[in-house]
Amino acid sequence: MAETTVREYAGSIGSTVKSFWHGLSITLSHLLRRPMTVQYPDRTPLHVRDMLPPRYRGFLEVDPDICTGCQACERACPIACIAIVLEKDPANPKQRVVSQFDIDEAKCMFCGLCVEPCPTGSIQHTREFEASQRDIRNLVFRWADPEKPFPVYKVDKTAEYYPRVPLGSLVRAKLAERAWDAPGPKYLPPEPPRPPAEKPAAPAAAKPAPPAAPGGQTPESK
Amino acid sequence: MEKLILRRVDRNSEEMILNFGPQHPSTHGVINFIVETDGEVMKKAVPDVGYLHRSLEKIGETVTYPGYMPYTDRIDYVAAMFANEGYAIAVERLLKLEVPARAQWLRAISCELCRIASHLISIGTMTMDIGAFTPMLHGVRERETINDLIEALCGARLTYNYHRIGGVAYDLPEGWRDRTLAFLDHFDKFLGEFDRLISFNEIYVKRLANVAVIGGAQAIDYGLVGPNLRGSGVDWDLRRDMPYGAYPSFEFAIPVGRGFVGTSGDSFDRYYVRVLEMAESSKIVRQALETIPEGEILAKVPRNLKPEAGEALSRVESARGEMAYYVVSDGTNKPYRVRARTGSFTAMGIIEDVSPGLMVADLVALIASLDVVAPEIDR
Amino acid sequence: MTANAPKPYAPRRSPKTVVLLTLAVGLGLPSALFAAILFLSPLTKPEMLGAALGLLGADFASWSPAGQHLAYGAAIALLAFVLLNFGAIVSGMTVWWEMRVSSRMQSRVGYNRVGAGGFFQWVADAVKLLFKEDLVPADADSLLFRASPYFVLTGFALMFVVLPFGESLIAVDLDVGIYYLVSVTALVVVGILLAGWSSNSKWALFGGMRAAAQVVAYEIPAGLSIMVPVLMAGTLSMQGIIREQGAWPWEWFVFTNPFALVAFVIFFISQLAEGNRTPFDLPEAESELVAGYLSEYSSFRFALYFLVEFGNLWVMSAVAVTLFFGGWQVPFVDAEAFAAARGAGPLPGAGWWGLQALSMAVFVLKTLAVLNLIVWIRWTLPRIRVDQMMTLCWKYLVPFAFASFVATLLWQILVARVPHVELVTGLVLTGAFLLVAALFLRRTLANVAAAGDRVDLTNW
Repeated sequence: MAETTVREYAGSIGSTVKSFWHGLSITLSHLLRRPMTVQYPDRTPLHVRDMLPPRYRGFLEVDPDICTGCQACERACPIACIAIVLEKDPANPKQRVVSQFDIDEAKCMFCGLCVEPCPTGSIQHTREFEASQRDIRNLVFRWADPEKPFPVYKVDKTAEYYPRVPLGSLVRAKLAERAWDAPGPKYLPPEPPRPPAEKPAAPAAAKPAPPAAPGGQTPESK
Repeated sequence: MEKLILRRVDRNSEEMILNFGPQHPSTHGVINFIVETDGEVMKKAVPDVGYLHRSLEKIGETVTYPGYMPYTDRIDYVAAMFANEGYAIAVERLLKLEVPARAQWLRAISCELCRIASHLISIGTMTMDIGAFTPMLHGVRERETINDLIEALCGARLTYNYHRIGGVAYDLPEGWRDRTLAFLDHFDKFLGEFDRLISFNEIYVKRLANVAVIGGAQAIDYGLVGPNLRGSGVDWDLRRDMPYGAYPSFEFAIPVGRGFVGTSGDSFDRYYVRVLEMAESSKIVRQALETIPEGEILAKVPRNLKPEAGEALSRVESARGEMAYYVVSDGTNKPYRVRARTGSFTAMGIIEDVSPGLMVADLVALIASLDVVAPEIDR
Repeated sequence: MTANAPKPYAPRRSPKTVVLLTLAVGLGLPSALFAAILFLSPLTKPEMLGAALGLLGADFASWSPAGQHLAYGAAIALLAFVLLNFGAIVSGMTVWWEMRVSSRMQSRVGYNRVGAGGFFQWVADAVKLLFKEDLVPADADSLLFRASPYFVLTGFALMFVVLPFGESLIAVDLDVGIYYLVSVTALVVVGILLAGWSSNSKWALFGGMRAAAQVVAYEIPAGLSIMVPVLMAGTLSMQGIIREQGAWPWEWFVFTNPFALVAFVIFFISQLAEGNRTPFDLPEAESELVAGYLSEYSSFRFALYFLVEFGNLWVMSAVAVTLFFGGWQVPFVDAEAFAAARGAGPLPGAGWWGLQALSMAVFVLKTLAVLNLIVWIRWTLPRIRVDQMMTLCWKYLVPFAFASFVATLLWQILVARVPHVELVTGLVLTGAFLLVAALFLRRTLANVAAAGDRVDLTNW
């Protein structure tokens, strides 16, 4: 230790008093001010979901009505959490249908890269973010019903906008269907049940069974 | 390090080997220091890194060029904008792509806001490591506003994924400019309050002044970058000395440690350089918001990016100093190699050299003053 | 569909019953304790006990000596029980209050879920700790590890023996009261040192050693600064020291003698150090030593340490009030008034009890004020380093404590020679104190205004 002069000795007492004076007055001034905590989840003026900015990247939502089945989102996804399967409509061979459109929200990192290439704005981030599930497999959102595949949307190049359902309504409906502690599917994802009528007709036409494949294409299956 | 662990400790000696981490409130599971102490005084502290290694560079070889962008967020999650920007610039150099001016400005705005946020965390955790809890939460409170702003801008609070190869993803939302200016007005006042609350608190000054002094030459030898380097009195900032993006258009000062209360290069200098840098960043954001040009925010980029075979290097001044991306292309749509050079990793190296003679409590101050962020160390 | 069907959103508020329950417990529990202390502490004096039992129809004087001793012992045991509970409950409520105050200082809301304003959080925490597994590390010195919390608790409990609450409200007014208090405080550090040693953890050892060094070192300035009021009062008895002071601020020791002011600052700092409070929380410095000597403790034993740490705040504040701030002295009520209200009967009159309650209220309010000062300091200052802690003690506090001790000796001579010197000094220092307080308040409001904010005390 270097020698301490009287000046330093007294000076350190002085600066201690001065800095404590300021410090204590600032903490006291904050005692008199209003805290700024947002009291999530139940004491906010609005539902927290409604306080988020519109660009918030929450759960992904797909509007099947305007999905073109272009699979651009599937290709853009860096972690392959989107799985899309396109088929021909058995009733109308010219019409292609989406028989599987799964988004694994448990895997999704909410980067928004899938939203950007979508030609119609069918896939969008919503402001929904509260959907904890006891079984992580319940976080796979299936936007296409394998039993009722939806036809792809034909893009009208001249259209000003595409008729999209209100953002978030579909995710909310899906979340409401499922209790947080609902049991998960047995397989991951479950084998999509096929319409039994298809089987006798298929062998001749279809090549090595594309209908069986969808399960194998999703990221989860090993 | 093996030597340190395996050496038989003389049972009669006064020495004690401490495992400072990974389960320790100051290193919270991600770093370990093997500390050789004699009572309260350290003989040596050897950092042991690798607890947060996630192969982020290897992942770069398996995803497409744009697809790697969200991963860069995870390289430094306290200041993700810089990692975004560095990677974007590297790939743009591979593609020989011009970035629109408005996008450059938006990058500067987002990065400088992010720098403020990151420095707030840095100085906040530093005060907490010194034992004052309140200033940390005041810092976090201000950062929260920045998070709100960035959330309104790009939709995420931490892993922004805002920059894109060839520009940025979103333009400024409505009313954002006024909100940001209002925040900056408030923030400049906050900095004064913060200084009076803690920066010049006598105990705080005494804890940091003349502690863990790193000289300029030593800092350069060890490859320290950013505020750590400037805290040692070396006047070097990529934004001014190797300008990129919109930075040549802005006026700002580069704060350099000159021994504000003690020796140049002590812990307090490293701390206070950050405080001063926040004020400068605030100036840059103001200027950028005033002079932002109109125009496109994203260059025309092919959807399936396949740069010609070659390599590119980008260097950006991140909140933790120089961050460099080295990207090698083999002509396919996935990088052949992505390499990230980060400031925290080199900062860890100097701890072994600086620590002898410090007290155990000073080690905490030293680590905090170097502002190491674990994902940056290990990637 | 039913499980999480969306409900219309409405912000949650505490139900009225919860608010009422919180108020009832929050006000009722301390009131009951204070009432118990108020009635029990005079009644443990033998003559009063006899008179009180006489009221119940028992002829105490005719009892056998064994019976008398038994009754007397029972009364004392009851008082001890009440005081111990007082310590524990005050400690819990202090935790709640400190958390609420600190969170506002940090722009947070803090506890507000368990009970209205989160008041029952301390109960919940205590219950949680009691239900945790009581873990003793395999390599720990099991006996010492288990025993050390009791050293701490014993030291803490013994302090209440001489802690005054009002004019006649004290368990035992020992004539060496303050000396006794200083010595039993030292028992706490034995417990902490044992905890650090027996845990067989390096962090705990560090913490224990730091605590020992700190407490032993700061006993010296604390002891020396305590000598200043002792010199001024001429007695070591707690009640005696208070009786020598007056009710008004200019009659308090801290203001009647400028050197006592210095002594108070030194005493206060030393008490912070002995109580391991910020800026002297080195023994349990979280960022350095994990939890210091508490690192390996869990469950009930951990709760005991916690109880003592926060209960100590009350003791520290009460001692400071006793020595420097005029204790329980009530304005316009002097010793004669107490004696007159007591009357000549075996049991004191109702007015006397009222005066006792009043003196208790004064004492409690002063104590709470000092307690808040300690809390406030904790949430403002950073922690000092081990060597600085020693420097502060030996280079600053000890010399100043010595100087103020010697100066007080001379001051007492001056007081004896020159009339009214105490009154003038008291008035001047009180005025100066008020001025400083006003300046401080102005500074604080300026801080609020400078940040473009306004005073707003809502959102609890």
